[in-house]
Amino acid sequence: MIAYILRRIVLAIPVMIGILFLTFLLSRLIPGDPCRAMLGEKATKAVCDAFIERTGLNQPIPVQFVYYFGRAVTGDLGESLRFGRPVTDMLMERLPVTIELALLSLLVATIVGMTLGVVAAYWQNSPIDAITMIFANLGVSVPIFVLGLLAAYLFAVAFKDTPFALPPSGRLQPGLIVQTIPEAWGMENLSGPPRTLLDFLSQMYIVNGILTLNWKVAGDAARHLILPVIVLATVPMSIIARMTRSSLLEVMTLDYMRTARSKGLNERHVVFRHAMRNSLLPVVTVVGLSLGGLLSGAVLTETIFGLTGVGRTLFDAITSRDYIVIQGFTLVIAFIYVFVNLLVDLSYAVLDPRIRLS
Amino acid sequence: MTTSAITTSPASVEPIFNTKPRGLWSTAFHRLFHRRSAIIGMIILGCLIFIAVFAPFLATHDPVQSQIGIVDVQKRAAPCIRLFGCPADQPEFFFGTDGNVRDLYSRVLYGARLSLMVGILSVGFAIVIGAFIGAVSAYVGGYTDNLLMGLMDILLAFPSLILAIAIVTVLGPGLINTLLAIGIVSIPVYARIMRSSVLSIKQQDYVLAGQSIGSSSRRILLQNILPNALTPLVVQGTLGIAVAILDAAALSFLGLGAQPPTPEWGSMIGQERNQVFTAPHLIVFPGIALILTVLGFNLLGDGLRDALDVRQRS
Repeated sequence: MIAYILRRIVLAIPVMIGILFLTFLLSRLIPGDPCRAMLGEKATKAVCDAFIERTGLNQPIPVQFVYYFGRAVTGDLGESLRFGRPVTDMLMERLPVTIELALLSLLVATIVGMTLGVVAAYWQNSPIDAITMIFANLGVSVPIFVLGLLAAYLFAVAFKDTPFALPPSGRLQPGLIVQTIPEAWGMENLSGPPRTLLDFLSQMYIVNGILTLNWKVAGDAARHLILPVIVLATVPMSIIARMTRSSLLEVMTLDYMRTARSKGLNERHVVFRHAMRNSLLPVVTVVGLSLGGLLSGAVLTETIFGLTGVGRTLFDAITSRDYIVIQGFTLVIAFIYVFVNLLVDLSYAVLDPRIRLS
Repeated sequence: MTTSAITTSPASVEPIFNTKPRGLWSTAFHRLFHRRSAIIGMIILGCLIFIAVFAPFLATHDPVQSQIGIVDVQKRAAPCIRLFGCPADQPEFFFGTDGNVRDLYSRVLYGARLSLMVGILSVGFAIVIGAFIGAVSAYVGGYTDNLLMGLMDILLAFPSLILAIAIVTVLGPGLINTLLAIGIVSIPVYARIMRSSVLSIKQQDYVLAGQSIGSSSRRILLQNILPNALTPLVVQGTLGIAVAILDAAALSFLGLGAQPPTPEWGSMIGQERNQVFTAPHLIVFPGIALILTVLGFNLLGDGLRDALDVRQRS
């Protein structure tokens, strides 16, 4: 098992170097004068010379890559051209927002998707099956931004003044004050990695509200996340529902299912004990692969619902041509994706012993 | 018992000699027309192609020209249809007008052209390049295989839309660059499919038989391997068009794809997204068009996969 884990990690290293190289190319391939492309047309020669000197743009390309590589692995992703802030600081502030959104969406998508898939497979060819699959087909075909805008309209305008009304944007209602966790716990003097971790968690308002026992914040943050989570969860939910159904139906035709039935087990036991575990592997793949879609979808969802996460920041960086931020955020998103795919690979080995032996 | 078997045998044997054996594609089409979802998909796509081809005849207005000063109508006016009680003193706009007082109905019709074009061209580009890379990788093997597949793994390490955004950032916004970006992002999928097909077909008996009777490798590649590797590509390509259309619309929605006043669905929605609370029709109509288009390709792709019996390769 350990050998298997180590082999997977070693295999991920060249991919990570490749990602670093590709994001490095990103800032080098911008057409025209890189300084003016990054600092704007009005940059004077003196400013440009200083900028080129500072960023090492006058060095040969391989040397530049080594510099970039060295800085990136030590956590230095440069400074935002627009805000003059280190990109790493911006990430620490905005990544938690996206992680909270993405994990909640994945949770909802997995629970609802698998339930629907099992229901559809259990009552195969019934009206319930047909309706579930029609919605699953629609779910993978709806653009996230269309769904998001229509949901915002429905819950903010059409359902206005009803109990179903939901806020269409923002993370908290105006006037609600959020303390960071170290503040609330009276640990302002804390420093180092524990402090970084607590500050990181503080940005997840639901987690923050629960940990600081501020139920008002937790509840309001959750209310603001309902629409974004539903919108972001729709595509993976539909894919998971379809995959669970087809995988379960396939397993149900195998010989050992007939054996289980013929030895007198009741149908529920056969489905949940014998079929489920063996049909889970493709579903795990889909859940893992969904994360890429969630990160892509976060750009659209956060833009529509005004959440200041990684996606929204990336969108703002694109509109203001803040190349350093685009580069840094793309790099980190790709690394997260590789890391999750690694976890998916490892979870196969846990679920199916044949994989780690081959 | 035995006599009856003898008397019925000529009748049961005869059709086998009389019917021509069906080929793979003929069987596939036969099966395709027996699947409800595939038929619905084909009907949707048929309508869409009809609309795209005959857009100039179906449209009631110029899709890019503002109607301000020409017709007495407000901007972002709600739909007004005579059949459903639109007063005679008001101008008729099937889907209403947008923020620049352009006819939304005509814009949505013309949008079918762009979405179909972007979907088909970008996937076509990805299939040609991807299939070439995959075939070379599988046929040559060794270091070339490792290098090419390593490259594909790196491209696959990015969520597709994020990589497309990064590429468009470098190339600059625009419809052609969007098309290229989505094409590049989709290459690895087809390269991998082609590679695994070629690898498995290379070992099949009929290919080995071809080699043993002295067929040239060019003949084997074109006549034996390519047609058999094509089915998974066609299935994935059909589903890929749906994804490409979605991604292109998303890029346009973010302002990176088609630029105004081009009547592209994603860009139409992106331009009016802040007006959703006051003029939802500007989101609904292009939105429905997008959903139907993507649904059409998804249903057809699923139907093709079942009809051609292609197992998904992960």
